[in-house]
Amino acid sequence: MDLKKAQTDPILDPNQSNYVYHLALDIGGSLAKVVYFTKDDDHFVDGEEGLSHRKALEKSNGSRQYPVLNGRLNFKKFETSKINDCVEFIKSMKLHFGGSQRQAIPGSQPIAVKATGGGAYKYADLFKERLGIILDKEDEMDCLVAGANFLLEVVHQEAFTYMGDQKQFVQIDQNDLYPYLLVNIGSGVGMIKVEGEGKFERVSGTSIGGGTFWGLGKLLTDCKSFDELLDLSYRGNNRAVDMLVGDIYGGMDYSKIGLSSTAIASSFGKAISDNREREDYKPEDIARSLLRMISNNIGQISYLNALRFGLKRIFFGGFFIRRHPFTMDTLSVAVNFWSKGEAKAMFLRHEGFLGAVGAFMSSDKHGLKELLANQVVQRTPSKLSFAVDKIIHGQPDGDESIECSVYAA
Amino acid sequence: MAHTGNNSMHRSSSRPQLDLSKAEIQGNVEEKYPTILLPNQSHDISHLALDIGGSLIKLMYFSRHEDQSTHDKRMRNVKNRLDGNRRSYPILGGRLHFVKFETSKINECLDFIYSKQLHCGGGESRYSDATTDSNAIIKATGGGAHKFADLFKERLGLSLDKEDEMSCLVAGANFLLKAIRHEAFTHMEGQKEFVQIDPNDMFPYLLVNIGSGVSMIKVDGDGKFERVSGTNVGGGTYWGLGRLLTKCESFDELLELSQKGDNSNTDMLVGDIYGGMDYSKIGLSASTIASSFGKATSEKKELEDYRPEDISLSLLRMISYNIAQISYLNALRFGLKRIFFGGFFIRGHAYTMDAISFAIHFWSKGDAQAMFLRHEGFLGALGAFMSYEKHGLDDLMVHQLVERFPMGAPYTGGKIHGPPLRDLNEKISWMDKFLQKGTEITAPVPMAPPGTTGLGGFEVPLSKGSTLRSDASALNVGVLHLVPTLEVFPLLADLKMYEPNTIDLSDHSELEYWLKILSEHLPDLVDKAVASEGGTDDAKRRGDAFARAFSAHLARLMEEPAAYGKLGLAKLLEMREECLREFHFFDAYISIKQRENEASLAVLPDLLMELDSLDEETRLLTLIEGVLAANIFDWGSRACVDLYHKGTIIEIYRMSRNKMQRPWRVDDFDAFKERMLGTGDKKPPPHRRALLFVDNSGADIVLGMLPLARELLRRGTEVVLVANSLPALNDVTAMELPDIVAEAAKHCDILRRAAESGGLLVDAMTNTYDSSKENSSSVPLMVVENGCGSPCIDLRQVSSELAAAAKDADLIILEGMGRALHTNLNARFRCDALKLAMVKNQRLAEKLIKGNLYDCICKYEPAN
Repeated sequence: MDLKKAQTDPILDPNQSNYVYHLALDIGGSLAKVVYFTKDDDHFVDGEEGLSHRKALEKSNGSRQYPVLNGRLNFKKFETSKINDCVEFIKSMKLHFGGSQRQAIPGSQPIAVKATGGGAYKYADLFKERLGIILDKEDEMDCLVAGANFLLEVVHQEAFTYMGDQKQFVQIDQNDLYPYLLVNIGSGVGMIKVEGEGKFERVSGTSIGGGTFWGLGKLLTDCKSFDELLDLSYRGNNRAVDMLVGDIYGGMDYSKIGLSSTAIASSFGKAISDNREREDYKPEDIARSLLRMISNNIGQISYLNALRFGLKRIFFGGFFIRRHPFTMDTLSVAVNFWSKGEAKAMFLRHEGFLGAVGAFMSSDKHGLKELLANQVVQRTPSKLSFAVDKIIHGQPDGDESIECSVYAA
Repeated sequence: MAHTGNNSMHRSSSRPQLDLSKAEIQGNVEEKYPTILLPNQSHDISHLALDIGGSLIKLMYFSRHEDQSTHDKRMRNVKNRLDGNRRSYPILGGRLHFVKFETSKINECLDFIYSKQLHCGGGESRYSDATTDSNAIIKATGGGAHKFADLFKERLGLSLDKEDEMSCLVAGANFLLKAIRHEAFTHMEGQKEFVQIDPNDMFPYLLVNIGSGVSMIKVDGDGKFERVSGTNVGGGTYWGLGRLLTKCESFDELLELSQKGDNSNTDMLVGDIYGGMDYSKIGLSASTIASSFGKATSEKKELEDYRPEDISLSLLRMISYNIAQISYLNALRFGLKRIFFGGFFIRGHAYTMDAISFAIHFWSKGDAQAMFLRHEGFLGALGAFMSYEKHGLDDLMVHQLVERFPMGAPYTGGKIHGPPLRDLNEKISWMDKFLQKGTEITAPVPMAPPGTTGLGGFEVPLSKGSTLRSDASALNVGVLHLVPTLEVFPLLADLKMYEPNTIDLSDHSELEYWLKILSEHLPDLVDKAVASEGGTDDAKRRGDAFARAFSAHLARLMEEPAAYGKLGLAKLLEMREECLREFHFFDAYISIKQRENEASLAVLPDLLMELDSLDEETRLLTLIEGVLAANIFDWGSRACVDLYHKGTIIEIYRMSRNKMQRPWRVDDFDAFKERMLGTGDKKPPPHRRALLFVDNSGADIVLGMLPLARELLRRGTEVVLVANSLPALNDVTAMELPDIVAEAAKHCDILRRAAESGGLLVDAMTNTYDSSKENSSSVPLMVVENGCGSPCIDLRQVSSELAAAAKDADLIILEGMGRALHTNLNARFRCDALKLAMVKNQRLAEKLIKGNLYDCICKYEPAN
């Protein structure tokens, strides 16, 4: 690698690029995810002053001196069905203006923004029309994997396990990260075998994913949002709708094959009762049953695929998880059950934003990737100035940001 | 034979008791647990087994065959001569019946058991007081075996002996795969293809049982299995969610709905995400489901805005694909080459099977195929049945099972009325009622529609419509006849390669043609049948019922050719005969046969004189010509039926023989002649024993085959006439042959001495066994039954006496269309074989020999 080149790239010079390096989109079937970078000093600014102010810090890193841009990587989600909200948001934040220049340059080329997800195709015209930006489509899976690799390699305590309300961060040795199975639970579920940077293959998937949960949930309950449904599930009891092993064997375990009486024999198997209609079941119970059914299934298929390809770790990501403890718990239980305790489900703190982060990374004008790949990662990551200090919880729909510093040339 | 003289198995109407008389320990007494045979144990022990699942109750019961008193003197004589020290059979001959009920309507099941008196030991004591045996124990499996134990005890006095569910499942599957030919099939895009699994190479396999939940079982052998996986997303999920999301009243209604659905309204497809484009990079087409129900997230639409059809299809695909995926991953994990899917979720429903097959194909990239079992649903019940200590099924071989499809029992207007049909009269009344109601019977043996169906004699209708359809899938489960005396014909060159049928009925036009032929022939057959029973009102009534029943079978097959399993012409023709017998027409052609036998026997002496005046070579040719010519007399052939009205038997025979212009369409006569007579001075040794598979009564047997038999006898070859056990059309039966031979023997010394030697002339002797020994001056002429009642013959299932007779045979002569053309034209044997037939069907002539009506076949294939 030519380190020199990496260092000297004028990565923040807006005049040499029409890319908006600080914004990337992942427009999925259900949710549109936005990742954008803000400098510390204009993070909360509504864009009126000091806009082009660049605060370059000199920071020591080995023998070299680099300018560092302190700022935050921000994450925001919108429901795809409300794509207009997303457009408005970008507009209001003036993220669609090139670089630090918060005004369109008349007569210049249209500005391109990295984007991934199926919606990057579907809504291309909308973005062009409303914001005058061109969505530069990046391959979805490339982004997903790049995002996961980046987060796992760079962000301290990105991965964790979750069992029985116990969250435990897992420190992954970067030299021993690969191969792993990345299970991305969006509307559907993609299962990707990752063997290294840019080395990956979609090995499996299932159509029973987040979209199924929300779609069936919407049909079966009066919930207005995915999160409402999730919240509901937390309060429910699936015994009312699921046929348990105990229901079949008169309360006894079928221990011969290792099934306890509380194991689910048939999801929704009790809903076949002649005398009860949909209204007779509590929406909480239905939500709970749905969630368990789907999580369980994803956990099982993931484990079988990990087994098939000899992958030691399974990371679950995607918006379905939403750091919902119960979802993570059921996925963990499923993996634990099917692997007889040999495998553990792991989660990423930035699940849901893998694609967007990957898209963000794909425009290496900001230099993150170069720097990280060539210098930081190969050296001492703990001393990285790209450090996640805290996660700032924003609005309920999942805004958050990572405080970070970006080296500038 | 231990029990031939002791076959007076009187049915006691008393309570079940073990009859231990004549019990003997079978096999090596040194063995730890030798099999104990109870030859006198009749049907008193109720072989009833249940599988009580969450949704359905599956019931299996066994009934003894009625004694077919074929123990006439002929048979005993043949047995003495041929059987030697043949083994006796530990397997009880009888029938296995399969019945289903909905678990929620368990009372129907209890009533059924009660009315069939299955709880007190089999159907025979049904007219006796229903005194229940408080000690009766029956095998049961399924979750309900626990749940409903008290109910069975209370209502029927039955104790349920619970057998492990999975053991039963596996035992049932192993049995079916081993014992039933073409039990397994694949199902792709609506096409069923039956698969023959080699019983010696069936393990290991993955058995996926889809009930309310799904179990995946790795099976390594009999009793060797492990539940390796499963999923809670199964049939219960489909029905449960379906019920919550639609207004369907039953599982089957929901399934049926799915057939009219379009899942693109509810599922998010790859194309929806990628704006109509494929995501080809990862091999996903635009129509691939990206997210099941992913489109139902739309804000503007409520549940009512979606079509229930679409929801049902979406659900079905979601669940089927998921099960298939997990199954495939598990098969892969354990290196299992075959995946069989069973359980009530499948129910032979074409769309479910297609969905699963598609998914297996998709996930395995074409490497694996999903297979299904015709008796899916009954695996557990069968397994429970097999857990009885002395069920005898373990030893059962594929050739000892015959599946039949009798017309079922009472269902009218959606409700079961009264007890199951007990006799023919009830069956006919039931069918009459049907007709009065104007309900079309399209399913002779309906199988478990939503309302649960009895099979083989008890059924319930579909809730809707005026058409009674069996089941969406259209697969029927018949009654399994266990016939321990059936064996594989030992002279078949290659059993694995043997396929009796020469016509491929999976070709739809072929099927259509033959169904039409049978249909057209039906009125004539009914006339004959009614006449054979004296033309009484009762006979007419039965005749109508038969016609209705058989038409229903034909209609059924037209709609679903695989309805009765792998269909062949042999099976089809046998079905007609069985249907006749079902309505107590035991021999529709009896008077015609007698008349023609008499007429032919009257001219036989002249024919024999004529033959004797010829030199050896001319005589042989004339005899073969005679067989071919006489084969024209065939009531199974329309063309020949027309001929009958144009002349006397001998006229037609002579005319026909004179028209025998060689070369025939297939003409190996010279090769046969060389084997018989040799060339030049070389005189080949005569055959040791010839098996002559005879065809029709009348001229065919008397003027064709008997003279040929006589010639063989004259040359020192033992002759065994092989004839049907039961009547089929005007085919001569083994029961009738001794009389015909005796009559012929009156005018012919050769025949007389041979028949005496073969013990056929029983009237002349007081002790047939001894006299046959004394009279060994001539080679014997014998008669054996072939074990079937069809105009065709499947040599994989022949009588044990034929199998025994075949041991010393070195020449086989198959005669007639049924046995030499429809079946066996391509069969290869381990000895010399001659196939003789006149083709009396234009289409068959074109198909098989590229010839014409009345072309002749003389196909000789020497042993290698």
